[in-house]
Amino acid sequence: MNTMSPEIICAVATPEGTSALSVIRISGSGSFELLENIMSLEKNRLRGMRRKVGRIFEEGRTVDEVVAVSWPRGSSFTGEEMVEIICHGIPRSIRTIMEILIKNGARKAEPGEFARRAFGNGKLSAVQIIALAALWDTEREQTTFNGETEISCMELLSGIERARETVEGIIEFGEAHLDGDDNVIGRIFDELTGRAGVFKREAASIEKRGRVMLMGPMNSGKSTLFNLLSGKGRALVSGEPGTTRDGSSCIIEISGRKMQLCDTAGTDGLGLDRTASEAVIDGLDGTERVIWMSVGAKTPPPGKVRKRAGEIIEIAAKSDLTVKRETADFLNVSAISGEGLEELKTILSRIPGSMSLSGAADRIAGSIEESFNFISSGEYGLAAELLSEAEIEARRILGRGENIQLSVERALSGMCVGK
Amino acid sequence: MIDTPDVIVVGGGHAGIEAALAARRADCRVVLISAKASRIGEMSCNPAIGGIAKGTIVREIDALDGSMARSADATSLHFRMLNRRKGPAVWGPRVQSDAAEYARAQQLYIENNGIEIIEDVVTGLSGDTERVSGVKCRGCGIVKGKTVVLAAGTFLRGRLFRGDEHWKGGRIGDISADALERDLAERMFHVERFKTGTPARIVRSTVNTSELEVQRSEDTDFTFSFGKGMPDREGEVCYITYTDVNTMNIAKDYLHLSPLMAGRIEGTGPRYCPSYEDKVVKFPDRQRHRIYVEPMGYKSRDFYLNGLSTSLPREAQIKMVRSLRGFKSAEISDYGYAVEYSYFHFSEIDDTLRLRKTDNVFAAGQICGTSGYEEAAGLGLVAGANAARTAKKSEPLKLSRMNSYIGVMIDDIVSKGADEPYRMFSSRAENRLHLRQDNADRRLYLLGNRFGILSEDKKELLSANLKEAELICSILESETADGMRLSKWCRRPGVTVEAVGARAESLAERDQKVLLSVLLDEKYRGYIERNLRRHESRRNLDRIDLREISSYMEIDEICWEAREVLERERPETLARAERIPGIRPTDLHGLLIYLGRQRST
Repeated sequence: MNTMSPEIICAVATPEGTSALSVIRISGSGSFELLENIMSLEKNRLRGMRRKVGRIFEEGRTVDEVVAVSWPRGSSFTGEEMVEIICHGIPRSIRTIMEILIKNGARKAEPGEFARRAFGNGKLSAVQIIALAALWDTEREQTTFNGETEISCMELLSGIERARETVEGIIEFGEAHLDGDDNVIGRIFDELTGRAGVFKREAASIEKRGRVMLMGPMNSGKSTLFNLLSGKGRALVSGEPGTTRDGSSCIIEISGRKMQLCDTAGTDGLGLDRTASEAVIDGLDGTERVIWMSVGAKTPPPGKVRKRAGEIIEIAAKSDLTVKRETADFLNVSAISGEGLEELKTILSRIPGSMSLSGAADRIAGSIEESFNFISSGEYGLAAELLSEAEIEARRILGRGENIQLSVERALSGMCVGK
Repeated sequence: MIDTPDVIVVGGGHAGIEAALAARRADCRVVLISAKASRIGEMSCNPAIGGIAKGTIVREIDALDGSMARSADATSLHFRMLNRRKGPAVWGPRVQSDAAEYARAQQLYIENNGIEIIEDVVTGLSGDTERVSGVKCRGCGIVKGKTVVLAAGTFLRGRLFRGDEHWKGGRIGDISADALERDLAERMFHVERFKTGTPARIVRSTVNTSELEVQRSEDTDFTFSFGKGMPDREGEVCYITYTDVNTMNIAKDYLHLSPLMAGRIEGTGPRYCPSYEDKVVKFPDRQRHRIYVEPMGYKSRDFYLNGLSTSLPREAQIKMVRSLRGFKSAEISDYGYAVEYSYFHFSEIDDTLRLRKTDNVFAAGQICGTSGYEEAAGLGLVAGANAARTAKKSEPLKLSRMNSYIGVMIDDIVSKGADEPYRMFSSRAENRLHLRQDNADRRLYLLGNRFGILSEDKKELLSANLKEAELICSILESETADGMRLSKWCRRPGVTVEAVGARAESLAERDQKVLLSVLLDEKYRGYIERNLRRHESRRNLDRIDLREISSYMEIDEICWEAREVLERERPETLARAERIPGIRPTDLHGLLIYLGRQRST
């Protein structure tokens, strides 16, 4: 089974974003030596199960002060020589440490690669690893999508199946069985490309529905709530579009549901703030969720927001400071006392939408396009291969009929790097 | 007889021949029993070897030192590389052979390799089913053997049909093996019925070939067998004609007399090689079907009508044939007919082709539920090798879905079975981009060598090919083009063998066929590796034991229907559970979560 490459792999194991501490994992034969080098330690200081405080240097300059914990072969998670660097959770220094590791011979781990190596070396049983994968899948499946999108995905799948049958038919039986209809392939692919386009649009709009805008007058505590949700929300997930925190939006994960949370300028602001706030309101297209917050719910959302938002969750903010208004229309929330936060999270976790659908839709469309190109260049075997890729992806989205042997590998590749 | 033979092969068709030869190469004493020795190696249906996927099987048989490829090369009249314009991953070599010469060539392999032939009718196995002592014959009584390979083709309680005529027979002119089938049934083997058929043979001199489209042989130095060149001999052309509305109407008029429609045949026929009347029923809108007119041999008396298999009455057959362009005054020399026969249900056969109820009986060919010469020969080779391994008490030969079409075929027929005669298709192989006709030697040499079924000559030849490929790989690794290694550069779209050759002088002296093959490996590498990884993770499911589960009914993680099905079927491993109809991926996931929790508590 041990077909794994012996390369040293590394990855950040903790969520992206600023935090007090962060962990970088390094695994593979030679990891000790690599760390000894970049921390300027004496040879063999990390041999065995050790813990070493030190600094990581780059061109004589200290990048960060870290703790390196080492595990010898056989007793680590992966079963290989392994080191975990506990460093400060500053994105820039984490990036620099990763660059130094890579410069010194490590390679960035593929998603799920640590778990795969653990499995390959008998440290994780197949049951454990697949159960882990299955749990991941189950969480992902919670991102239900609406009927319309499901139908367009089903149509796409049946289109892919038809194209694949036709291509396979031509491979096995020649064009003869097409009754002299030369352009059948062209038409099938035209239609398929159309269906892929429809699904891509649907997927993109679903993602919008997964977007939550924090709005309200200035000083109502939007940014405090934003920081609370984004900081304590389980994780920022890497590898997906728009996940880097640009100060005003981030991907949060609540009960396994990923969504994009956007902070906005106060609606009653002046100058630049005012322009920004109006742009946000004009940008609403009836799909987004808006958390409208004002102190004590004294300011109702303006008509323009009511009209353009998909759904409004009204919050009476600063409930620790104000007189509480107990009506069903409001949710009393205090970022300080934590009141109402759990209820808010429950509401948010029910929002349909998935942040990963668009990526899958793009991959399907890409495979279809590549498949058609292969037909044009007379490579029917490759064309069929790509269609089967597209088919697997579509089946995975619909949660049906996919062979488990495929889903294990997929679940692993969907895992957070370093997990 | 002086001492007990190691292997007794029952049947001298494509499966039986490869079984006998493989066991002989493994240094066994082999006896082949055939009811009619003069018909050993006969092409009962069309005079051709190969095709898409099938041609690759023939190359695999040659890589394992079987005889089919060499006999096909030696008797070839006409060659075509099918799918020539659809990419080398799906090329399918196919030859028309001289049917009589082909059978004779195969007989010579049997005779010259010291295989004893007994002309007799096998009436049953002898001794206990768990461990048989040999076979019973009508004439010479019990023939003792350490192992037995059953390769009875369509002969097990064979019944022939044409219109309302029907009679016993394994093939036209041969008796059926009724007693053997009865013996197997009494030993509680589960057998089912399939049917197949063959078209009429036409007297060549009565066909006006000037009215037909001509299909010439490709001019090529291709051979099925790795290494040697094609013998220089005069070939033949093939012709193409078409059915039309008249042909269809004649078939319709006589449809009520078709043994299948009249319910006289209960067995299922091959969907992908249907009789003409099947086509008329299933595709009523389509009047025009292409018919290939193929000579049965060099300057032979007869033509074979590929695509017009039928079991309609003689009267309908002659009318249908004469409705074809160029066949207005054609005469039929042998009428088409259908044959119905028994085959082993897939649950009886394991992945070494051993019958599960026994320690030492193997099955190969159509009695495993397949159709086609190439499929039969591939199974025969594996069954023969494993009979030999069993006789010598050594570990069996198992091919994998990842290394060969033969491996795909065996895995399919022993795990899923088939509801119609199983024909090989390239789309059945998930690793198709790797299972190509050009690299069968490199895919299988090490395996064949390890299991001792290669002759010294073959070893030398194949290992030379392997070395050549290694040499080419090292050149591709060391030479560069446009600043990248040649091994990577050659993956760019549209790069040809010539273009690669132009980049490194040292490649000019290398074997260009091997070079092309190595380049294709490079080109498809990414896809092939991904398929291998997938296969590996799937094999892991095989290791997950479900036998420790005492009751499925209490497992909340899976749905009710699945609980009931699993409780009833009690699969041994997760891989088995996956194959049970009605079990969905989510149930398997649920099962895994459950198992994971059980283990951690």
